Amino acid sequence: MLTNPLTKNVTDQNVAADLGRYLENGGYRGWRKAHTMAPDKIIEQVKDGGLRGRGGAGFNTGLKWSFVPRGEGSPEQKFIVCNADEMEPGTFKDRLLMERDPHLLLEGMAIAAYAIGASIGYIFIRGEYHLAAERLENAIAEAREQGFLGSNIFDSKFSLEIFVHRSAGNYICGEETALLNALEGRRAIPRAKPPFPQVSGLWGKPTVVNNVETFCNIPHLIELGVDWYRGLGRGEDAGSKVFGVSGKVNNPGTWELPMGTPIREIIEKHAGGMQDGLELRGFLPGGGSTDFLGPEHLDLPMDYDVIGKAGSRMGTGTIIVLDNQTCPVGLVLNLSQFFARESCGWCTPCRDGLPWVVKILQRIEDGEGLPEDLDLLREQCQRIGPGKTFCALAPGAAEPLQSALKLFEQDFIDHIENHCCPYE
Amino acid sequence: MPTITIDGEKYQVDGEQNLLSTCLTLGLNVPYFCWHPEMGSVGACRQCAMMEYKDSEDQHGRLIMSCMTPIRDGGIYSVKDEVAEEFRGSIIEDLMTNHPHDCPVCEEGGECHLQDMTEMSGHTMRRYRGTKRTHRNQYLGPFINHEMNRCITCYRCVRFYNDYAGGEDLQALGRNHQVYFGRQEEGRLENGFSGNLVEVCPTGVFTDKTFSSHFVRKWDLQTAPSVCEHCAVGCNTAPGARESGNSNEPILRRITNLYHHDINGYFLCDRGRFGYEYINSATRIQNVLSVRQEDVISSTAEKGDRMHREINPQEAVLHLAEQIAMANQGKRNLIGIGSPRTSLENNYALRKLVGSGNFYSGLSQKDQELLHLVSTIQQDDRIQSPSTPEIENADAILILGEDIYNTAPRISLAVRQAARNRQKQQAKSLKIPLWQDSSVRQLEGDYSPIIFAGTELSNLEKITSNTLFESPEKVASFACNLALAISDPTSLSPDLEPSLLELITHTAGILRGSSKPLIISGTSSKHADTLKSVAQVATVLSDYKKQPTMLYLACDEVNSLGLIQFFNDGKGNLDELLERLKKNTDNQIPTSLMILENDLYRRLDKKSLEQLLSQADEIILLDTLLNPTSKRADWIFPASVTAESQGTFINNNGLAQRFYAVYEGKGFIQESWRWLMDAVNFCTEKPANLSAIAEWQHSTDLSDAIAREFPVLKALDSLGPDEDFRIDGLKVARQSARYSGRTAIHAEKQVSENPPLQDPDAPMSFSMEGIHNPNRSPLQANIWSPGWNSNQSIFKFQEEVGGERRGGPSGIRIERPQRVMPEWPAPSTPPEVAADPSHVQMLPLYRLFGSEELSNQAMGISEVIEAPFVMVNHIDAKAFDIHQRELIELETSCGTYRAEVRISPTIPSGTVGIPYGLPDFETLSPLLPGYASLRPAEAPAITED
Repeated sequence: MLTNPLTKNVTDQNVAADLGRYLENGGYRGWRKAHTMAPDKIIEQVKDGGLRGRGGAGFNTGLKWSFVPRGEGSPEQKFIVCNADEMEPGTFKDRLLMERDPHLLLEGMAIAAYAIGASIGYIFIRGEYHLAAERLENAIAEAREQGFLGSNIFDSKFSLEIFVHRSAGNYICGEETALLNALEGRRAIPRAKPPFPQVSGLWGKPTVVNNVETFCNIPHLIELGVDWYRGLGRGEDAGSKVFGVSGKVNNPGTWELPMGTPIREIIEKHAGGMQDGLELRGFLPGGGSTDFLGPEHLDLPMDYDVIGKAGSRMGTGTIIVLDNQTCPVGLVLNLSQFFARESCGWCTPCRDGLPWVVKILQRIEDGEGLPEDLDLLREQCQRIGPGKTFCALAPGAAEPLQSALKLFEQDFIDHIENHCCPYE
Repeated sequence: MPTITIDGEKYQVDGEQNLLSTCLTLGLNVPYFCWHPEMGSVGACRQCAMMEYKDSEDQHGRLIMSCMTPIRDGGIYSVKDEVAEEFRGSIIEDLMTNHPHDCPVCEEGGECHLQDMTEMSGHTMRRYRGTKRTHRNQYLGPFINHEMNRCITCYRCVRFYNDYAGGEDLQALGRNHQVYFGRQEEGRLENGFSGNLVEVCPTGVFTDKTFSSHFVRKWDLQTAPSVCEHCAVGCNTAPGARESGNSNEPILRRITNLYHHDINGYFLCDRGRFGYEYINSATRIQNVLSVRQEDVISSTAEKGDRMHREINPQEAVLHLAEQIAMANQGKRNLIGIGSPRTSLENNYALRKLVGSGNFYSGLSQKDQELLHLVSTIQQDDRIQSPSTPEIENADAILILGEDIYNTAPRISLAVRQAARNRQKQQAKSLKIPLWQDSSVRQLEGDYSPIIFAGTELSNLEKITSNTLFESPEKVASFACNLALAISDPTSLSPDLEPSLLELITHTAGILRGSSKPLIISGTSSKHADTLKSVAQVATVLSDYKKQPTMLYLACDEVNSLGLIQFFNDGKGNLDELLERLKKNTDNQIPTSLMILENDLYRRLDKKSLEQLLSQADEIILLDTLLNPTSKRADWIFPASVTAESQGTFINNNGLAQRFYAVYEGKGFIQESWRWLMDAVNFCTEKPANLSAIAEWQHSTDLSDAIAREFPVLKALDSLGPDEDFRIDGLKVARQSARYSGRTAIHAEKQVSENPPLQDPDAPMSFSMEGIHNPNRSPLQANIWSPGWNSNQSIFKFQEEVGGERRGGPSGIRIERPQRVMPEWPAPSTPPEVAADPSHVQMLPLYRLFGSEELSNQAMGISEVIEAPFVMVNHIDAKAFDIHQRELIELETSCGTYRAEVRISPTIPSGTVGIPYGLPDFETLSPLLPGYASLRPAEAPAITED
């Protein structure tokens, strides 16, 4: 049984699987099959497969597609958009997928486009991902030549063109509505919802935006079916996922593993455990905008709801490990600087709150913190919490900070009392 | 109506509004920044946080942004909840991390929404210890200051400037807390509504630069409701004045918007806001002048120019009295020339003095005929003259021969909103409330159809679905064919050019198919056939749809439609006067011309006018600014401007509106009618027929007399309260309760406080004493409420947010008898002729800055007026071998004019565009539209001939 559908074409060599190799390994079979199916059936299969968005929010993909208006009276033009703006700190899974197996993404997008009736697709890719963009463009050319993309695909009425759009930068472009604004050439700020993009997205037309990895799940889910797909997961969630580990482990990297793989297995087995002499103090389970979990959580399976219940989020599934010789204040400062800089500037708590957070953390790190600064930080975490800001950027930024203030409170106090960073 | 509970109180509310505006309508104080009553919600600032509870059991509630929250029937909300209160304070605290503490030197101080909201939120302690972000400011032109350090990033400026007004040169730049609102490079903000940034900005980033040069705090300004005199839309304004340091006499210091639901709403155009500076300009007439008995010899003097000296007003009034007495004895002809740029009262006074047979409109035959046409068309009950909100709701718009951005600017802003009606329709079908501004704007929604036919279209081109740039003759013929196409599409001539035929059929289809079609035209193309054909389209459409057609007709000047009511017989134009005077040459009785606030050089071509003036033995002028006509006058009386006087104007809608004196004009300046009254009172023997004039005391005496004498203007007697009206025994205070320095301001002359001036015209005091609450009287123009020092406080005085001002709208429509307009014969189609440089048709082009007489003398505006130009069609230019920016000579029946060539792809072939009323081109205006010949200027001009 196929257990690594996402990375089966990924080898040790840094080359993209070309169309020949992709086809040899069964490529575009999902697309061929989907093309014979009714769009509704595809959506239903994706829904039933339990595929949840791999960008971090974990929303059921089939359900998302089902909101696109169809039939009489619905707008003729629809768009499919791939969110390849992978900028989450500590996250590098989409890059691997796009650089090594670009056709898998294209195939997933083609099926999705067919399911919702889109004739144009955009891959909105992080500006720094030159190599991935190039390889995608080559793959698009190959696929067009072989008739997997372009007009009248498989001699049907269905046509699809996919364009690669390199982002001009900014983390907020990863927020799907800000991404649409950026694609339209507007300021990258999140849009008000409703309307949701499925109803009024790119240029006001129905649009589905999915993460790279989400699309990559589609071809095999369609080809091999719901039962196979659900069976891939070890826990509650279906399918497999590219997990990653960074930090002072012996073997940082990414691996495709079943959903529900225990964290300990990922860190100790695949990432080779902590480097010599270091202990794990905590970790961010799903990228820079998730809450810290501690060693007591190592045995939890990587499932959306399990991690959620533990007080964090599975996010992108790429773990950042904190060891006992790295300053947690410094780590949170570094992350906060990132989020403060990347704030789009739309709403007040994020725009003006995060730079204040950075200034306080910097002071503490420099040994100039005051005891009341901790309360101020806690207050700021409240202010930028969910529901208080326009989008999820600031609440995401609050997650590592608020959890660090709980888990590593003594470190903060030591900085303030000793007027210096104890790790220096 | 849904019922909701806020802090334990039950309210019945309008479910269409969001929670924030619902609270404000209910009189509750909820702080906000990014929400604007006209521009809706975007949820950026997070200042308006409230709590929402699931049900009465819910103890914790959920923090919500009230501006983004639709009303839920039975909903339970709280403003006072501690969590919400704390959060709102925290938002201010966040904003204040970057806001400078420069209130004492900030021109927004005292009317700053940020100050108000900070107070309201209760945030007082500074905990932030870091540095503040700083920005560089930009030069944005003569109207607006830029101080970006004060910015709280509410995005209102770009939302107004770009989204609402269609501007393109102001952007939000950069990101995070460094977001910068400015231009890509320094330079004047080009959109003609930029001045609204001053009022839209909740703090002092954008402030009024013209005000800076004579700045005082809002609480130190005395004010009264006024009407903008710079076009005929009739926007309401709140001019502010205060004593100046030099003369101790008050000067006008600024204009701000005064909300009028049916006209200007929350916004003014820049001509209206910044044009006021003409009042304090060097050309202002402040003294009584009399001619010196020598001819002027100087290189710039024209033949017949006179030199003047200041004289004692008594001497001049005495002289005027003598003239009146002589006229009464039949020894002198006293002829009055009225004006469309002054009040009905002033015109009436002159008419009364000289008698209706001797009273002339001050308009050329052509202009008077056009106005007469407008009034005739508006009298037909198949025509309805729409208010601004009605324009904004139109679902299809046809604009014929009127460049409204330059001739009726506020109306073009309304048209811009109407363009979004398809998008709004889509929002409705998706159940997105219209106040959800960013949601609505991100919908696909193509623009609603806007079709333009005319000479030039400014600012609206991008939202126009079809344009036809043609000469007025062809526009009229287009309109005629359109009328045919609406009533019977098969009756169109098959000889029409296919593209034109297609446009006609398309337009007819759009108008027939829309439910609220609107037609806009006016007098600016100076072409009667255009107006007649427009009227035909409107009536045919009305017959087809069995409902009156909305037709907005723009007139040239503030009181055009008022003046014409005195001339309903169609007589009394300047051409007639010229004929009369020419016939009179043998007569031994000398003639005095009394000219009321009118520069006749803008009315009649120079040749005719010189002839007219030379027939007069004496020219008496009452006016506000020195102008070419004043150079010919023997006596000049300084007249008050709008802000210094009371009177009535009638706007394009036929709405009679009263304006009130904000302050008393300097020195001897007074209302024109008062000069006339003074003269009558100086007559030793008061002629019986003038006894009424002698009895006038109040401006309303004239208004009432007009109402009695002219049934059409009956509305004037109920327009506003008489001067003896009191509220609780009090007048309405022009000065705020905090007006400062009243004992100090005259201290150099007198230590004790001067008694305040008495206003003989209005029940308003020139002091702090009286009624301050705008809810108690619409005469109170100082829009202020405790805790709401900025103009945002207007909601406290509206029936609901964005609704009528409490106490009803100001102004009353005049009641013209309903009369079916005549059937005018179709204009003949102009023959096609090859463009010929020796015979080009000159068409008027209008400019927001430059075409209006008074505002041209405003300092800021004079800085931005273009140099005169001649606009030539690009194909003609090739054929005539003339080039962009080349100097060209335009030979007309009244002399040669020289200007740069400007080449345009849209100006119709065979015509040249001439900027109307631009400095140096004023005397060309009466010739438009007319014919001239073009030739390259030979040598660069050294001296003017």
